[in-house]
Amino acid sequence: KCPEPSPQSIVTWSRHEQANLVSRLVRRELGANSTRAHARLAHAHFAHVRTLRLQDDDAYFTHTIFHPTQQQLLTATSSGDIRIFNLFTGVEENSYQVHESYIYHMQASRDGSLLLASSTTSWRTLSALWNMKEFEQLFQLDNEEYVEFSKMSDDRIIGTKGETASIFDTRTGLEVMTLTPAISNQYAKNRATFNPTDELVLSDGVLWDVNTGKEIHKFDKLNQTHSGVFHPNGLEVISNTEVWDLRTFHLLRTVPSLDKSEVMFSPSCGVLYAVCSDQDSEERSQFDTSFKTLDPYDYSSIATIDVKRNIYSLGVSRYGTQIALVENMGDFEQVQESCVKLYDVGRKRDHDDDAEEEEEDELAGG
Amino acid sequence: MAYHYVVTAQKPTAVISCITGNFTSPTDLNLLVAKVSRLEMYLVTPEGLRPMKEVGLYGRVAKMKLFRPPYEQKDLVFILTARYNAMILEWRTGANGELEVVTRAHGNVADRIGKPSENGILAVIDPQARVIGLRLYDGLFKIIPLDKDSTELKAASLRLEELNVYDLEFLHGCSNPTLILIHQDLNGRHIKTHEINLRDKEFMKIPWKQDNVETEASILIPVPSPLGGAIVIGQESIVYHDGQSYVAVAPPQIKTPINCYCRVDARGLRYLLGDIAGRLFMLLLELSERDGTASVRDLKVELLGDIPIPECMTYLDNGVVFVGSRLGDSALVRLAAVRDDASQYVQPMETFTSLAPIVDMCVVDLERQGQNQLITCSGAFKMGSLRIIRNGIGIQEQASIDLPGIKGMWALTLGQGPHHDTLVLAFVGQTRVLTLNGEEVEETEIKGFVSDRQTFFTGNVCHDQLIQVTDEGIRLIGRGPGGWGGVAAWAPAGRALSVVSCGDTRAVAAAGPRIYLVAIQQGALELIAEVCMDEEVACLDLGPGGEEALLGVGLWTDISVRVLKLPDLRPLHTEKLSGEIIPRSLLICVLEGVCYLLCALGDGSMFYFTVDPDSGALTNKKKVTLGTQPTVLRSFRSLSTTNIFACSDRPTVIFSSNHKLVFSNVNLKEVAHMCSLNAVAYPDSLALATDSTVTIGTIDEIQKLHIRTVPLGETPRRIAYQEASQTFGVITMRVDKVEWTGGCGSLVRPSASTAAASASAAAPPSKHAPAPLDLELHNLLILDHHTFEVLHAHQLLANEFAMSLVSCKLADDPNHYYAVGTAILNPEESEPKQGRILLFHWCEGKLTQVAEKEIKGGCYTLVEFNGKLLASINSTVRLFEWTSEKELRLECSHFNNIVALYLKVKGDFILVGDLMRSMSLLQYKQMEGSFEEIARDYSPNWMTAVEILDDDTFLGAENSFNLFVCQKDSAATTDEERQQMGYMGQFHVGDMVNVMRRGALVAQLADTAAPVARPVLLATVSGAICLVVQLSQELFDFLHQLEERLTHTIKSVGKIPHSFWRSFNTDIKTEPAEGFIDGDLIESFLDLSRDMQQETLQGLQIDDGGGMMRDATVDDLIKIVEDLTRIH
Repeated sequence: KCPEPSPQSIVTWSRHEQANLVSRLVRRELGANSTRAHARLAHAHFAHVRTLRLQDDDAYFTHTIFHPTQQQLLTATSSGDIRIFNLFTGVEENSYQVHESYIYHMQASRDGSLLLASSTTSWRTLSALWNMKEFEQLFQLDNEEYVEFSKMSDDRIIGTKGETASIFDTRTGLEVMTLTPAISNQYAKNRATFNPTDELVLSDGVLWDVNTGKEIHKFDKLNQTHSGVFHPNGLEVISNTEVWDLRTFHLLRTVPSLDKSEVMFSPSCGVLYAVCSDQDSEERSQFDTSFKTLDPYDYSSIATIDVKRNIYSLGVSRYGTQIALVENMGDFEQVQESCVKLYDVGRKRDHDDDAEEEEEDELAGG
Repeated sequence: MAYHYVVTAQKPTAVISCITGNFTSPTDLNLLVAKVSRLEMYLVTPEGLRPMKEVGLYGRVAKMKLFRPPYEQKDLVFILTARYNAMILEWRTGANGELEVVTRAHGNVADRIGKPSENGILAVIDPQARVIGLRLYDGLFKIIPLDKDSTELKAASLRLEELNVYDLEFLHGCSNPTLILIHQDLNGRHIKTHEINLRDKEFMKIPWKQDNVETEASILIPVPSPLGGAIVIGQESIVYHDGQSYVAVAPPQIKTPINCYCRVDARGLRYLLGDIAGRLFMLLLELSERDGTASVRDLKVELLGDIPIPECMTYLDNGVVFVGSRLGDSALVRLAAVRDDASQYVQPMETFTSLAPIVDMCVVDLERQGQNQLITCSGAFKMGSLRIIRNGIGIQEQASIDLPGIKGMWALTLGQGPHHDTLVLAFVGQTRVLTLNGEEVEETEIKGFVSDRQTFFTGNVCHDQLIQVTDEGIRLIGRGPGGWGGVAAWAPAGRALSVVSCGDTRAVAAAGPRIYLVAIQQGALELIAEVCMDEEVACLDLGPGGEEALLGVGLWTDISVRVLKLPDLRPLHTEKLSGEIIPRSLLICVLEGVCYLLCALGDGSMFYFTVDPDSGALTNKKKVTLGTQPTVLRSFRSLSTTNIFACSDRPTVIFSSNHKLVFSNVNLKEVAHMCSLNAVAYPDSLALATDSTVTIGTIDEIQKLHIRTVPLGETPRRIAYQEASQTFGVITMRVDKVEWTGGCGSLVRPSASTAAASASAAAPPSKHAPAPLDLELHNLLILDHHTFEVLHAHQLLANEFAMSLVSCKLADDPNHYYAVGTAILNPEESEPKQGRILLFHWCEGKLTQVAEKEIKGGCYTLVEFNGKLLASINSTVRLFEWTSEKELRLECSHFNNIVALYLKVKGDFILVGDLMRSMSLLQYKQMEGSFEEIARDYSPNWMTAVEILDDDTFLGAENSFNLFVCQKDSAATTDEERQQMGYMGQFHVGDMVNVMRRGALVAQLADTAAPVARPVLLATVSGAICLVVQLSQELFDFLHQLEERLTHTIKSVGKIPHSFWRSFNTDIKTEPAEGFIDGDLIESFLDLSRDMQQETLQGLQIDDGGGMMRDATVDDLIKIVEDLTRIH
């Protein structure tokens, strides 16, 4: 019989991680690599640092992203504005009316010059590309429900319209390619996306070759909502709870904690954020009050952070040191209180009680 | 702005990889050792390893393999760096006879997207040298076909079904390259083979596989043809498999995991295995023969003995193995045929000093000579040690005699044999002779010797005679039947002699301006030439070369150096020295084949030149300051090389390294005179005279940094110096192996903490506690600061990790304490929840615990701060005051970190290094008794060390091997700008910095030193020591231009661009280096030929000192760069 794996000890010069920070630090000084476990530790805690609110009450926050180059936070509202806050002071520095209604998604280009925003009303959906300096509209993408930039560079935009994905040239706004699946999967929240090398597109559960425009593979549909996103490692597709091997199209694993969640990676790819937003059959969104962090290496859970309000959106800062959450109270139709909260990654929350405890100790000891 | 210069004072010593092959010629047997970013080529000779060439690499070696293509007569080397630069190198003897490293092919094999494998980079080469295989990213296997003429290494990716691969190799004897690998899936670990179609660059088929090998199997050893197949090494079992037959054993000798191996014989029947405890095993394949074909019948394992904890091993020849380690010294060992007394087959042959990993260090001036020493916590586990590192050369005192007023000193051989037996000492108006009889010294007389005059020179000369020179003349003393007696004398007409130099057959003496050349013959002295100089002679020296030797003369009044030629004392060259200081000592000597003339002046400065032996012309004039007093130059031999000893108030050994003169301090306060001494009781020694004493001592190996080792046998973690008690405090970690041999207790290997003179413990070990497999015990050791003897060991709690140590003096308490910060470890927790701060007092040989403070977390750093104790505890920075009741009381805290790992203080300012959130600066507000965060770097940097450079400038090191400098801008207009630290520099140092300390190893000499400021020493995981200093903007700009030019002149090994190597590189960004000058590159200017130097500085402008720019000359640059080399 083969022996069982032995328990890890400090002398074992193994590639495994140590659970406790202290023993990891001891080993790091001797030359062991412990980056991944450190990243796990850092993404287990989030400390609230600032709350941003709208001055007027008739709208509420819907989405937020960090400015890719400036110390600014871009927030979108239900009335179609983009409000720009100074991250340092918390002051609202600018406000632009870019759409007429609820903006549910924004993405900035890497150099911070362009912004994609998508808005929806009951009668039409609209996406557009904006110049971030003056917020001049460069072009509109009618009927595109969701748009994002390509991954290697920002020179292409991929839009989603139901089951159809369209690729546009960022410079001209001209449509380059349309990808419509032969048999639609009818995902409720299809979001077409490029793979990390911009050679593939995943839309409506179908994998496409961008060069030929041909379908490569159709993944089994195991959920109603999410078509899926590419893992930045280029090897996997995360489609709701399923993780597919992009090379074999086999199911690699099932991650129940990702159910109905939108998935986002930190810039270093050291952590995966998951925010659950359920959408029931009546197309009324239900928002969860917590988000999760997972290890993108093996999808193990790191932490679940409950903020006690509905999370409409999560944004990660350029280097992954802060996150911003749109936290709203009340029903989707009737938001009672809306704010964007900034959190420091890795810091623990309340420290204030420490000093008191110390004093108590003193008293007890004395 | 801030401008910095970073240079390596001690190159990395951790061995990453080693291979044996015929690299430098088809007949040379070579050892090639990779030490992180350096490659060292050795020749294997019957006498041992001979260093041949060392080169730096612009990258960290990840893998190094040898191969020999069928068309080659010698072996080539494939290297892959951590940043995926691949290269094929050849060591070739160039036209000028110098060994050079030729890049045969190169390329970067990184992918933009990919999942770098957690099991690290794997690189293998097909035994028939058809293809290189790489596993860099999970799920992909890269192949680089080896074509003869290709200079570009291009990798093609093959999809590898197995995601989690632990090891892979190419099998021998396969018609197509065939890979074997160990991989893991949900069911366990398996081995599998893949045949590769090289033309189509794809996997063809799976010739064979074996599911479910041992769950910890992690090493594959391919067995050469004709046997073929592979050996699979697991934690407890060893398996041989060739697709058909399968032999498995579970050798009881193997208790800890094997982590490296090397093949002993070409047939592949014997292998050496090394385990992580540093034990060496022999694995033997036993064959059975049937129908003429052999097959493996059994596997035998034998324990050979102890070796350094290996990282890699290679078998050289004749039972000699090189063991490379990164946790301590590497070694050359011999495998004996029989066991020795300690029942070991392993015999140590040679040790290669390694400081790696340096975990902590302190900078102290132990000998109070204004020269710092560095005491490092080096090595780990059984190889743990303290290293005492000093710039300069150590003299180990053997004996000393109190004798004041010595004016000169020489060693003579009066008896038979090669050894000196007599020491002659000159005083004002008298000469004394000492006989060395064993270790005894007694005064004696030599017949024929003048004892009532001051001797200027004496020595053994030709025809078994002695010569003695005094002011009245030269006397020759011969050996007659009745013993020694005067045989000849020569006296100058007119003035008395003042200076003299003497060879074996010639003596040169000067009286006023007249110089006399006297031939020494059997029983006779003959004046053969006489000249009168323009001025009086101040000093002279006879160069080597017998009858046609050069004579160097220094003159008074016109302050010049003349070169004359024997035998007619013909003047060849005149060199005026600038200034008004008279030359006092002159020396002509040949070092490494280059003839130098050195001339020391009365103010402690020295000029030196290279001398053309034919024309006598002096070139390459340079000036250095050696001390502040008149300097006496003497040459001496050590280990068969000639060196120069400059006797002064700052004694210096001058030696030649790489055809450059290197100046190295000596650990003596002052030396007035010296001579070599090779007596029976004091072989290979030096006699050194000060004002009051003669010291006989041996000299360390001549090298720039001198390292002394204090072995501990356990892992040192922190060190602190306490001057008041003349001790060092050292925190160590010991791992006790618990082996249940018949129910008795644990097996404790002797080490510093178990062998201490006295011991104490926090609590008696509980008898009923469940014993973990390996028990980690932390101790505070108290060591004597001179002898480094362990005076006391205090053991902490069983699950308590000592994390920090400081020697401190708190509040008004007159005592000095050692403060120890600990963490109580619970393996299930991600962070410590509890810890302690302990205060100890070492007094009169007793260690007393004076205070204990329980804290809620681990105490990562302790610093004395304004008479209080500053601690970083988990995410907080806390200040404790020392009350009159002798208790630690919390005064204030600051919370804005993930884990506050490092603290440095200056005045009221505190620099905090965080696990992930880079650096921040706090100010302690004395009045309010609180901390205020002044500024912070908002980039995510995973810190490994921090240091305060000046009030506004901060140096940080992070875990992707980068350095960066941040500056706070107090004058900024907005709060936002003030609170944000700005980047003033970034640089890839290529090594993980564990510790930074302010200070330097070299005392600054005011007038010659390079204009650098605020030195900080850095020490790394790989055992390197670096120095960071600040530069003026002018010097920075100038050096930056030189650096840029050097990147074009110097061809990098593997054609990796210098800018790529030094770029700041992390998971999330790669940015060009800025704000730092690469001192290693700058210093390599001195290694270039003069033509190359000239070519490099083409068009470079330099300030002439008066603000005017002119073209820089080679000599300008040599001066600047040499000055920079002297800062470390």
